[in-house]
Amino acid sequence: MMKETEDNESKRSSRRNFIKKVGAGVGAVSIAGIAGTSVIGGGRLKSGEKVKLLSPDGKLVEVDKDDIQPAKEAVAELKAEAKKGLPNRKFVMVIDLAKCKNARRCVEACQEGHLLPKDHEWMKIFLLQDDHDTSRYWFPRPCFHCDKPMCVSVCPVGATYKRDDGIVLIDNQRCIGCKFCMTGCPYSVRVFNWQDPEVKVPEGYEYDPELAVPQVEGTVGKCIFCADKLRKDELPRCVSACPMGVLYFGDILEDTVTNGEETVRFSKMMTDRAGYRYREDLGTLPSVFYLPPVQRLFPVERGLEDLPDSIRLRYKNAGPR
Amino acid sequence: MKTLISRTLILLSLLTIASFYSFSQESTKISPYVQLQYFKDNNDNSSLKTTLTYSKNRMEIPLEGMKIIFYSGNEKKNKIAEAVTDEKGVAVCDLKEKSDFSSDATGQWSFSTDFEGNDTIESGSAELSIRDVILKMDLAEVDSVKTITLNAEKIENGIEVPASGEMLTVYVPRMFSLLPIGDVTLDDSGNGSLEFPADLPGDNEGNINIIARFEEHPEFGNVEKTATLKWGVPSSYTVPKGHRALWTKVAPLWMIYTLSILLTGVWGHYLFALISLIRIRRNAKKDESSDLRNI
Amino acid sequence: MTEKKLLEDLTPEIESTGLKWYLTFAAFFIVFCVGIYGLIQQIDKGHIVTGMRDNVVWGLYIVNFIFFMGLSYAGALISGVLHLFHTGWRKSVIRLAELITVISLVIGPFFIFFCIGRLDRLPFLVMYPRIQSPITWDVIAISTDLIGCFMFLYLSFIEDFAILRDYRELNVPPWKHKLYKALSLGYTGNEKQKKILKDAKNVMAAMIIAIAIIVYSVLAWIFGVTLQPGWHSTIFGPYFVIAAVFSGTGLLIILMWIFRKIYHLEEYITKRHFVNVGVLLTIIAAFYGYFTFSDYLTKWYGSIKMDSLLIDKLFSDYYSLFIFANYVGILIPCIIIAFPKFRTIPNITIAAVIAVTALWVNRYIIVIPTLETPFLPIQDIRPAWIKYSPTWVEWSLTFAGISVYGMLFMLVSKIAPIISISEMKEKDQIEILK
Repeated sequence: MMKETEDNESKRSSRRNFIKKVGAGVGAVSIAGIAGTSVIGGGRLKSGEKVKLLSPDGKLVEVDKDDIQPAKEAVAELKAEAKKGLPNRKFVMVIDLAKCKNARRCVEACQEGHLLPKDHEWMKIFLLQDDHDTSRYWFPRPCFHCDKPMCVSVCPVGATYKRDDGIVLIDNQRCIGCKFCMTGCPYSVRVFNWQDPEVKVPEGYEYDPELAVPQVEGTVGKCIFCADKLRKDELPRCVSACPMGVLYFGDILEDTVTNGEETVRFSKMMTDRAGYRYREDLGTLPSVFYLPPVQRLFPVERGLEDLPDSIRLRYKNAGPR
Repeated sequence: MKTLISRTLILLSLLTIASFYSFSQESTKISPYVQLQYFKDNNDNSSLKTTLTYSKNRMEIPLEGMKIIFYSGNEKKNKIAEAVTDEKGVAVCDLKEKSDFSSDATGQWSFSTDFEGNDTIESGSAELSIRDVILKMDLAEVDSVKTITLNAEKIENGIEVPASGEMLTVYVPRMFSLLPIGDVTLDDSGNGSLEFPADLPGDNEGNINIIARFEEHPEFGNVEKTATLKWGVPSSYTVPKGHRALWTKVAPLWMIYTLSILLTGVWGHYLFALISLIRIRRNAKKDESSDLRNI
Repeated sequence: MTEKKLLEDLTPEIESTGLKWYLTFAAFFIVFCVGIYGLIQQIDKGHIVTGMRDNVVWGLYIVNFIFFMGLSYAGALISGVLHLFHTGWRKSVIRLAELITVISLVIGPFFIFFCIGRLDRLPFLVMYPRIQSPITWDVIAISTDLIGCFMFLYLSFIEDFAILRDYRELNVPPWKHKLYKALSLGYTGNEKQKKILKDAKNVMAAMIIAIAIIVYSVLAWIFGVTLQPGWHSTIFGPYFVIAAVFSGTGLLIILMWIFRKIYHLEEYITKRHFVNVGVLLTIIAAFYGYFTFSDYLTKWYGSIKMDSLLIDKLFSDYYSLFIFANYVGILIPCIIIAFPKFRTIPNITIAAVIAVTALWVNRYIIVIPTLETPFLPIQDIRPAWIKYSPTWVEWSLTFAGISVYGMLFMLVSKIAPIISISEMKEKDQIEILK
């Protein structure tokens, strides 16, 4: 029953939150506890304080404060959940090139949500022109979450993985920074942390591959379809932020995609609007589809207005290659 | 004369300053947007919902933790309940007792909501007039075509009257939003029907939820009927366990075999060389008297 | 060639160390220290101090890695192949070749380490390996190769250590005597021991050749299996193998010249050796030229856009480098060695220097231009993100690698003779050296 799955999911997400909160809180407390209790003759005095915890199989247990290292367990639990993904889902995104005018709200929302330094763009907007006789168009490009991901195939330590719901994630604590995945990806999706991103992380936060905050120096980052939001049945940040409704997102198994305001059947959209994938011939089977810029709402030049120079000059040489 | 003029001037300036002061006070106060909605769900439970937001940079920001009071009635207002807005700026009030509904002559109910305001936010209120409607949804296969039949009757002067000409929308709830299936306009007898698509995916067993509702109707508010049945195409998608590919956790078998054979072959030869070294050492120990130069 | 004469000629280096040695070592060491300082800067501030950015993620470090691994081919070819073919003249130079192999294999992987963003997680390569990844294949192959070549080198040293152990007049400090005694395993040279050693060497020689080909092919496939234009080429495996043999042979000639000069080994490394290795160089240069031409012809002739973009970039931004690597680097060695008139020892050495440098440049123009022409165009305004230019950190570490090479050779020459005494004293050598 659909309702039951929803209940399970909400249970799981509340359990995640519980673990996050308790784990973080108890983590802080346990460090203080261990530091506070004195070490006499090699043994450790137990402070005697008990803490209530939720065990992985759903039981409430009482444990002495000093006996636990919950911070690590919280991260391990989050990572295990991140590897499993959401059951019976396969996520796709549809990008309507007819409506994009380089408003760049998607880029900004993504950077804000994942606390990225300003020069990291997980969602990137290109100005493409296939040939002299064809027209220019704005091309937003998130990670394609391919079904045959080259990046996953070449990772030597398994730091990046594809899970059953289609999302390709990165474990920033496993990544060794060899950058093979960056040369493997033909779409230039991944960015590298060449220096310390120096972002302020909120209190009590545990590392979660589904949110990927903070980015780690010497490791790789990329669009993760906001897997943390999907757990709460919310749309990815770029999709919610787009003022033109360019980005549609959904579950292909439900045959439905939405941009927050308009909800349509995915198969119908593909048939009616001739959806396609970028460079289908490379055979990576992307999960992102594009709708060709037919009857576009705005002239292309509108996307170059109101831009700071540092961004507008990027497109100076945009044209057929 | 002079004192009169000076006093008037002082009074005028004071008034101006006071008006500026109050004006500036008012201009720093946020002007909220109050929205009152009526809901009637599948089990005929009614509720009122107030949303309190304010406008900033062309975006609506919710106001959390504000006290909202719900009233029924038009001239004589009965307080129904009090609630506090949540993080989305929403306060809800369940309408359970018959006393919550005070109707006028034609059977219409009046509701209103009030926000007192505080030091930084102005007060605000909203009103609503609702007429009760009885909505029925019937799901059946007519000539092997899945059909949704809807019937709505509104209460006018205590009598049930067909709600002819009204429009409902039918949805199927999905993960992030509601997928619209179609609109139904009711005929003179208050009936309407809609064909349900035969190829819409449901869950693993083909279960699907259907919602038919009046959406923000000027007379009826939000009234819906829901149902769950096996009208969806069963969707099955599981990646087979133990699937072996370049990008999976377990490698293709041929890779494992090739690597094992190559490594055993090469390291086997290394072992042979190592054993040769050991044999040389053993032989040398036996042969300690010989000198290399004698050869 | 009596053993006595061999010992008199070859052991002085082990016995005494001149001022020149110390000065040269100090010079190398200073370069090495500058490199270490660069490395510390990189670890401290992050890879932002290098020239690598989001598109050109592999720069000088990977170029050096491939280059140094390629140099290790000298050992595989000269000692391995020529050993199995029982070629006589090889004996003067096999020790040098084997040393080149082992030292290159020790230094090469360090350049990979410099390129890795999180050095503290290096053990993950062996703790959580994924065998579908070409880098895992590389880790396995290189460690196998290193151990194999080390073993082969040691096998060839045993007899020499035994000779040095027994040489009464050897004037070395007691610790060196003890070292020779321990390392020679008590070898006395009787028939049984000789047979065991010979069999082991034959087996290892065959293994070395096989492993060397696998190692270099795996390295080539790190590039070949990706989709990038210029890398996704079926010829990459054999191409890299041939290029490696080419560079190894070139380096062998250079080191032959250097050691001949400083240790006065004119009697042992003669013009004949230079010419023979030079001819090898020419043959391999021809093969290398053929493979290069084949690769670029097929890219240029077809109309695939990404290939055309790459070729355009090679012939505009990288024009001089391309001509040097693929024309000058092949033709000059061929011309010098093909004509008997030009075949003098200095000329052949110059040809080798040109060949080795050209091969380094060849690696550069394989790795970097491809990364500068991705499928989706680079739309950026920062120059460092559009075109790769290596920084002082990368150059200093490159030269540090070369200086470590020199230092290791200098240290080894103090422990064992550069020319294999045991091989040279066999009767056939007298004929060859006349």
